[in-house]
Amino acid sequence: MSQKLNSYNEDKLCIVGTCPDMCPFEEVTLREEEKLVHVLEVTGEGYKLVKSYSRSAASANMAVPRLLRSYPVLYDTVQYLLLKVSKRTDVKMSVMYDFLNDRLRAVRQDMTIQRLPEEECLVLLEPMIRFYVYYAYRLCDYPLNEYDPVLNKKYLLECIKWFLSCCDNIDRDNAGTDDVDSLVEDLSKLNVSNQKHGELSCDRILVESLYILCNLDDIHPLYRYLNLSKQIKRVSILKLTYNIAVANLHGNYIRMWKLAKRLCPLTFSALCLYLPKLQKRSLQVLSNAYNSKQLTVPVKVVQQWLMFNSEEEVRAACTYYGLKATDGVNFNKNSFKLDANELPPRKHYQAKILHLKLEDVLSYTL
Amino acid sequence: MATGTLNQYIQTVERMFRLAEGDELARLLSLRDAHVTNRNLRSSDIASLVEGNCVAPLDELIICHLLCVKAICEKEYSEAYSHQSQCVVTIVKILQNQKEQNWCLPLMYTVCLDLRLVAQKAETIQSNGKILEKAAESLLSCFRVCAADNRTSDEDTKRLGMLYLVNQLLKVYFRINKLHLCKPLIRAIDSSPLWYQFPLAQQITYRYFVGRKAMFDSDYRMADEYLSFAFQKCHRRSHKNKRLILTYLIPVKMLLGYMPTRNLLQKYDLLQFWDLTSVVKNGDLRGIDRIMEMHETFFISAGIYLIVEKLKIIAYRNLFRKVYLAENTHQIEIASFQAALQIMGQEDVDSDETLCIVANLIYLGKIKGYMSYQHKKVVVSKQNAFPPLSTL
Repeated sequence: MSQKLNSYNEDKLCIVGTCPDMCPFEEVTLREEEKLVHVLEVTGEGYKLVKSYSRSAASANMAVPRLLRSYPVLYDTVQYLLLKVSKRTDVKMSVMYDFLNDRLRAVRQDMTIQRLPEEECLVLLEPMIRFYVYYAYRLCDYPLNEYDPVLNKKYLLECIKWFLSCCDNIDRDNAGTDDVDSLVEDLSKLNVSNQKHGELSCDRILVESLYILCNLDDIHPLYRYLNLSKQIKRVSILKLTYNIAVANLHGNYIRMWKLAKRLCPLTFSALCLYLPKLQKRSLQVLSNAYNSKQLTVPVKVVQQWLMFNSEEEVRAACTYYGLKATDGVNFNKNSFKLDANELPPRKHYQAKILHLKLEDVLSYTL
Repeated sequence: MATGTLNQYIQTVERMFRLAEGDELARLLSLRDAHVTNRNLRSSDIASLVEGNCVAPLDELIICHLLCVKAICEKEYSEAYSHQSQCVVTIVKILQNQKEQNWCLPLMYTVCLDLRLVAQKAETIQSNGKILEKAAESLLSCFRVCAADNRTSDEDTKRLGMLYLVNQLLKVYFRINKLHLCKPLIRAIDSSPLWYQFPLAQQITYRYFVGRKAMFDSDYRMADEYLSFAFQKCHRRSHKNKRLILTYLIPVKMLLGYMPTRNLLQKYDLLQFWDLTSVVKNGDLRGIDRIMEMHETFFISAGIYLIVEKLKIIAYRNLFRKVYLAENTHQIEIASFQAALQIMGQEDVDSDETLCIVANLIYLGKIKGYMSYQHKKVVVSKQNAFPPLSTL
């Protein structure tokens, strides 16, 4: 009974990693012996291994300091993975993604076990978020056995939610000072703001925006937005994102698209991944509104309204959902196939991200 | 009990326990009773004075309770919380030992309610939701004992305690914004055959929270049903609670086409909705924006900001109905609708966006008719072109 049960104050008792390299020595030996070196770990200067992800099993003790990397090493690891390794062109994009994803998961695992302070988590998580958004788009038309969008979304959300809860905790600690710049200040101590090209960035507004745009069919990100502090809410790019989501709530695809033109490459690509859903729902609305045996709406117009790439794509989508389309689409509410699965996403010709390398995407600021 | 020695207190608790006086026992172990002011109960060495001094595990319960009282008097809230959560652990033991009887439920209610209150208090100091999350786990441990008691007769089953616990849990989950955790609880209650045996007050609380959740999930019919029940059955003197229910019921009703009267709003000090009612009726979109800005803090803190945003759909419908009545024809030019939107504050709306807004209204059944792109016209039904919202 006399024991003090202040279990929620135990936060500060944590393990500190001592592994000085991107990969613990044991793992290097083991993987080299067992020939488990990934092709991307073979470099011009010999093997360069990065700690790989392993599931935490009941038998294995993960919390061993010499197997864990400290914050500076983790930072270098993320930087190495996303800025150096990602430049290699000798493997397929999906192989690259799998490799980077696995090694980043290992980074997150080290972060969790050591319970890194919030400020450090932010710095490591933000580039990971950009990474997941970038590849979600670049790989969106790959076959399922090479790239799984559901898993990608899971990791993305994990990172975003972690990032945002760190922000909330920092906000709470700073409450009272009520200083907008405090977060920025905290980050500058860690040497990340004012970054030049080729360094990682840390941008809360971008993450808040992505949280909304990656979850357009969920209302909770909007409630989160509404409860943010006024200073953050009025940042124009975030407000723009909110307005897009509200337009989506009203089914107003015209306004969504008008506003979307002002998005940055990453947020734009996140919105593009939502297009199939939006197009299906809008076609359903149109099938009710323009329901007619004779009248049609020109294919070109539907293309512009619903952000299709081409007239051909409109025809294909209409046919898929049971609508007749030649020069015009003959909308009919009875023939619209509501239970058809939405079409897989296609790359949108207006997405600037297609011309950007991961490196560019990691460093731009809003 | 505000005076008296520690031994007297222990004896009273034990006697009530032996007599199975649930309510009296609950009062003696409540943090909101007069005995907490009794200094004799705040000895520095409670544990050794009480242990073994009465039937186990009652002594354990008394120790935790008095330690919690002491911690609260010293304003050590997180310590108070851990003692109170130990109380719950002991309660679980007591409940498990008492087969086929439920007279102890009032005690469980009191201890659980106090647990939530202490957790909330502790959160004001270290507010990241962690303590409330732990409190929810403790409450769930009680819930499991109650829910599992399914062999006892309907009168003596501890399952009668489920709703009280669910209500406490709903309060916690709403506070820490973990609404998705409500779902299994709601399922457990809705499928319970004991529904009509739960006290009315508990039913009202439950309907209030589940109604609010339905509102967040955009299930407005269900929200209407649950919140209306709560409002109608809520005691007329619980002015504060009735006002709280109305805060959600009014916007839901408005979305479904029922506008509140000024009297009602005045009675419950909710006149923020009165201005809103008139702008929605008039289709005044600029007005809606103005009112949303004016009462932003109220709408956001109540969690109804997005519902108010959705009222714009009703406003569009009302505006277009006016255009229809003014034009007095069944074929209305899109340009007329567009002009109306621009007059009402949406200056940047073009013809494509107007088409889009009308299309959505037809899709939602708020306008009966169809559109012709070639003629840039909306052809509305000869009968009932704008069906009353309450019939949809």
